[in-house]
Amino acid sequence: MSRSDHVLIIGSGVAGMEACLMLSKAGKKVTLVEKLSLIGGKTIKNEETFPNMDCSTCLVAPIQQEILQDSSINVLTLSSVEEVKGDAGNFTVAINKKARYVDMIACLGCGMCYPPCPVELINEWEENLTTKKAVYVPCAGALPNVPVIDAEKCLHLNGTDLECNKCMEACMFGAINLTEKDEKLELNVGAILIATGYDMLDICAIKDLGYGQYPGVYTAMEFERLFASNGPTEGKLVMRDGETIPTSVAIIHCVGRTQTHYCSAVCCMASSKHAHFLHHKLSDAQIYNIYSDICLPDKTYQKFHEDVKAHSSQFIYQSDRDKMKITEENGKLKVGYLDNNNKDTSIQVDMVILANALKPAVGSDELEKVLGINHDKFGFVEAQPFRIGSVTTSKPGIFVAGCAEGPKDIQSSVIQSEAAVAEILSLLNS
Amino acid sequence: MSEKIGIYVCECGPNIASKVDIEKIKQEISNLEDFKDVELVVKNHKLLCSVAGKKYLENEINENNLTHLVCAACSPRDHDTTFINVCKKTQLNPYLYQLVNIREHCAWIIHDKEEATAKAIRMIHAGMDRVLYQQPLEEKQLDSNPDVLIIGGGIAGMEAALKLASKDRMVFLIEKTDKLGGKSAKLKELLPRQGVNLNILHQKISDVQSNKHIKVFTNTELASIVGFLGNFEIVIKAVNNPNNTTDLLAGAVVVATGFELKGAASLDSYNITDTDEIYNALEIEEMLSQHGTITRRNGEEPKKVALIHCVGRSEVGYCSKICCNYLLKIAKMLKDQSAKIEVTEFFKDLCLPNKHDEDFYEQVKTRGIDFIRFKNMTVDGTNVKFTDISDAKKQLDVDMIIVGTAMIPADGAKELAELLKIDQHETGFYQEAHLKINPVSTNTDGVFVVGGAHGPAGISESMLQAQAAAGKIFTQLIPGQKIIPEVKVSEILEAYCTGCKTCLDVCGYGAIYFDEDKGISVVNEAICRGCGNCVGSCPSGSIRTRHFTNPQLYQEVKEALR
Repeated sequence: MSRSDHVLIIGSGVAGMEACLMLSKAGKKVTLVEKLSLIGGKTIKNEETFPNMDCSTCLVAPIQQEILQDSSINVLTLSSVEEVKGDAGNFTVAINKKARYVDMIACLGCGMCYPPCPVELINEWEENLTTKKAVYVPCAGALPNVPVIDAEKCLHLNGTDLECNKCMEACMFGAINLTEKDEKLELNVGAILIATGYDMLDICAIKDLGYGQYPGVYTAMEFERLFASNGPTEGKLVMRDGETIPTSVAIIHCVGRTQTHYCSAVCCMASSKHAHFLHHKLSDAQIYNIYSDICLPDKTYQKFHEDVKAHSSQFIYQSDRDKMKITEENGKLKVGYLDNNNKDTSIQVDMVILANALKPAVGSDELEKVLGINHDKFGFVEAQPFRIGSVTTSKPGIFVAGCAEGPKDIQSSVIQSEAAVAEILSLLNS
Repeated sequence: MSEKIGIYVCECGPNIASKVDIEKIKQEISNLEDFKDVELVVKNHKLLCSVAGKKYLENEINENNLTHLVCAACSPRDHDTTFINVCKKTQLNPYLYQLVNIREHCAWIIHDKEEATAKAIRMIHAGMDRVLYQQPLEEKQLDSNPDVLIIGGGIAGMEAALKLASKDRMVFLIEKTDKLGGKSAKLKELLPRQGVNLNILHQKISDVQSNKHIKVFTNTELASIVGFLGNFEIVIKAVNNPNNTTDLLAGAVVVATGFELKGAASLDSYNITDTDEIYNALEIEEMLSQHGTITRRNGEEPKKVALIHCVGRSEVGYCSKICCNYLLKIAKMLKDQSAKIEVTEFFKDLCLPNKHDEDFYEQVKTRGIDFIRFKNMTVDGTNVKFTDISDAKKQLDVDMIIVGTAMIPADGAKELAELLKIDQHETGFYQEAHLKINPVSTNTDGVFVVGGAHGPAGISESMLQAQAAAGKIFTQLIPGQKIIPEVKVSEILEAYCTGCKTCLDVCGYGAIYFDEDKGISVVNEAICRGCGNCVGSCPSGSIRTRHFTNPQLYQEVKEALR
């Protein structure tokens, strides 16, 4: 049976995107499957990346644009892999592509369809910090810059009001198509790359930390969006009431590490970055980083961290990360912890940022089942047969890169992606 | 042939059309006083980037025999390539086209329609002035050599060699010592999380040696290299006899020269005075590999061992990333050797960034090892005086000390950087082209850096980086495929160059060399990226970057500022 020269990449974060462009340059056809309506992954949720404070959009947007304009790359957003049959060199893949209800070619992304939409929804992509319409793009600058309609919430599509055609009427290009149907696609591919990334650990269950109970407690990703100039507050650092500016902030490292049972590798740097952001925007604010071990695994990281320590934040050691307790007292958040002498100590702050652990992306167990590959006890894809220096999975022809394999920073994700490209090209060109 | 400029205004649906007066633009542009002798075609289209729009533009260029094209539309980030590709389908050289951004620069930011229209007209006028001064440029195609030179025969270099070597691609692997394997070949065992024993590493040495597409040169180092991606001319020399040289040709270079461990004798921050019973991790691994046990210099088994983390870290200014793990492994090996050996790990922070590290740490902890988090330390002989995290001053007498010292760049890193024209990070390790999104490439196209040469890295990471470099080479250097170098490059006008060499210093790509015979600087067009640094630095104004010449920029700016 002949071998397919076509590669399927699942996940459009930095790892998936890098592989896409490289494979296309090497003359392969690529299909990029992304479950969301936009490509770019988690990187685009960050305003700036550590340690050089590169603007994330500036890093990623040219890559996104190149992918969208590359005729060898077929980008399938709102899509998921349903079934995989066959072997290395010759997989048959069934993909479910959900209807966007907006024509990708006709739409210019002018945004005229949002204002007339009568439905207002919570915007999950913005960490629930703002709202969106039933026809929406998750954030300004989303690529492809084409809205999607939430079929369950759209009054027309869910049957509440079949007369509601307000978005259609507002569109000057006839781009909105409320009769679009989900599609089943079948592809023949020679190799598959899993680059499905990570999600953040849900920390509502860790009751002592008060997340979900006290509005002043934020997750790291919520704070990223709060700081983002295309985020819910356009980068204005205010509390949930939309006006109060915090005067003191505690950033807690290693949140959920006991539960996940691994270090998430990026949080110390991300938390140092958050202290840097805060100090930069609120120069008078008192900032604390409460840590138990500082992990800075790159030649460039310590310098940044030391700079933050010297200028932006007071780093406090806590001797037992499971003994932290956050309560409310006199309108302030009281952060209780065990200090370097194992004594109960506390500080009072307006805002707490919890650097919660990274975990396998939602839906990775189903995907691992569909692909028929092994995962480790945490649910991350396990590289095999050697865990050492390998991007191959338990099934020949299927490779893994980025945080789908375990928590890691952007450069380590890109390195794995480039390594996976070497494996894929070796396989397909052999 | 007389000039005929086509000016096409894109409405971008309502995006441009509703915010500027398209008819007024057309009318004013058609009647510009300073273009009254030039034939103009001025038209508008609903959406030039659409399939229909592109076809329309293509037909317009052909039917009107346009000599120049100006598109007034959106940001070049969105559609410059789109219109360049349209030009390429026609007789019009794409460098005789100019995109004017009247969407982001006018329609989207100016509320007053009249003002937005006036600015759009001025910008289009500027684009027309510029386009007449533009010159057709032709893309060149160069043959490329798919072969690869790898410098360094450690785990990273061998991994890269094995991935790259094939019947279409020869690999030359040079190693300055007399054998392959590097530091990892000295190890006794790997971490449990690495999931393999050392045999697979030793296997790689014989795989490299028996691969007929890999030519290994031991006791050899780089003497000189010139050229660019696809065409490097290389001279290698014997380490002990510099006159014994060999010439090679290759299309890419992978630098895998590894690292060194900072010596135990230079541990300033811990005031270590006597290094008699102080060993670094590699010495312990070698001792184990050779004799099977860890012993003191007198041959006796140690009774009390202190393992000290982060030695030399404050001096070098970075975390070496792998020491916490290997010191845990050595603690385990000591306990494996004899449960009676008392082992204490002195650390400041534990850095365990792999998903399986925590498990290993928990497992080692159960072996009866003391973990002491310390703030300061002085080591006198084998007496360790320290302040612990609770600020208590304590001391511990041991009979052996094993240190996790900082990983530092290999000897000769600076000289090699100069030969290869690649940058060094302030730590002395080689600098990646972009830390985040281009981590194994360097500022010199075709030169890649992997493993310990890139920064502290363990075996696993070094192998992944080597594979990543192979991936990059597979996509940039395809056997039989031509290389198309940048067209918009700098050129030096021989007559004006005074030979001051200023441009040589500012060129970040090593694209300028000095012709001693003529006494002038010369641009190597295959390497030049057209950044323009040299143009700005040249005191005699003898350098220009194609497509961004002074007259072109002047024409555009003059009209834009009128």
